[in-house]
Amino acid sequence: MRLKFQKGDWIAVGLVIVLAVCVFLPFLPSSAAQPGAVEIWQNGVLLDTFPLDRDGEYIIDASFRNVITVRDGQAAITESTCPGADCVHSGWIRHTGRSIVCLPNRTEVRIVGTDGDVDFVVG
Amino acid sequence: MWVRTAMWTLLWGEIMKKTTQLALCAILIALALALSYTERMIPLQLLIPLPGIKLGLANIVTLIALYLQGPKTAFTVLVLRCIMGSFFGGGLTGLAFSLTGGLLSMTVMVLTKRLPCFSVYGVSILGAAFHNVGQIAAAMALMQTVYVASYLPYLLMVALLTGFATGCAGAGILRVLSAVPAFTFPKANR
Repeated sequence: MRLKFQKGDWIAVGLVIVLAVCVFLPFLPSSAAQPGAVEIWQNGVLLDTFPLDRDGEYIIDASFRNVITVRDGQAAITESTCPGADCVHSGWIRHTGRSIVCLPNRTEVRIVGTDGDVDFVVG
Repeated sequence: MWVRTAMWTLLWGEIMKKTTQLALCAILIALALALSYTERMIPLQLLIPLPGIKLGLANIVTLIALYLQGPKTAFTVLVLRCIMGSFFGGGLTGLAFSLTGGLLSMTVMVLTKRLPCFSVYGVSILGAAFHNVGQIAAAMALMQTVYVASYLPYLLMVALLTGFATGCAGAGILRVLSAVPAFTFPKANR
């Protein structure tokens, strides 16, 4: 049994960092795509699209209740009855490509570019 | 007459071996369940608001099982912990997530343990990281979106810390337990 931290373990640390960077880069907010709209997905279905510059609220009643708020060009899940409410704690998003998910409710709030198209593909 | 005695001795040894393994397996599962239940009360989400974030305390048990008893026992402990853990809360969705994460992490740990360049720490860090990879993969499949992967880099950075922490705990426990014959029985101390 090797129970002491050894040099080779830095390879493990390096591998994890490299993997993290590889996944991080494609999701960087690109300046080309101005944030334009909020898409609300539930269970893999696009429920609705909002312009980001118009304030409003959207309520989903599925397994749990999610209240999605759009205000001052930002979006957030402001209320949720799901256990843990990680989605509410995720806070506000405003950059293209960012999203908030509520796994228990299978909800995703996603910010897309002005044309509403995906401007990159991962994988 | 001596044939019968010899057979009994052999049989008794076999029974003891099975009993010890069964008891050890039960202890490890109970320990893993208790740890995964306890860690739900630690509000790590309030500190770092990411879905699926946790300390991974139960991974200490998987690690110990893997090092003391080998992949078979570790696999049994992991699967039973996930199934029984879903009774305590989490439900079927939780089970799907913990199983995909756990099995991928387990596979990676079994493979990396064989490589001489990694110690318990490296194995634990990679196990924690791939637990997150598995969970994100499950989330991507469940929600039909690649955007969930944008959480992965943050989860991986946290996994470095939690993996190191569970590695510390695992190494400490293994140092003590590997000296107790009952825990490494019937496997030779490796």
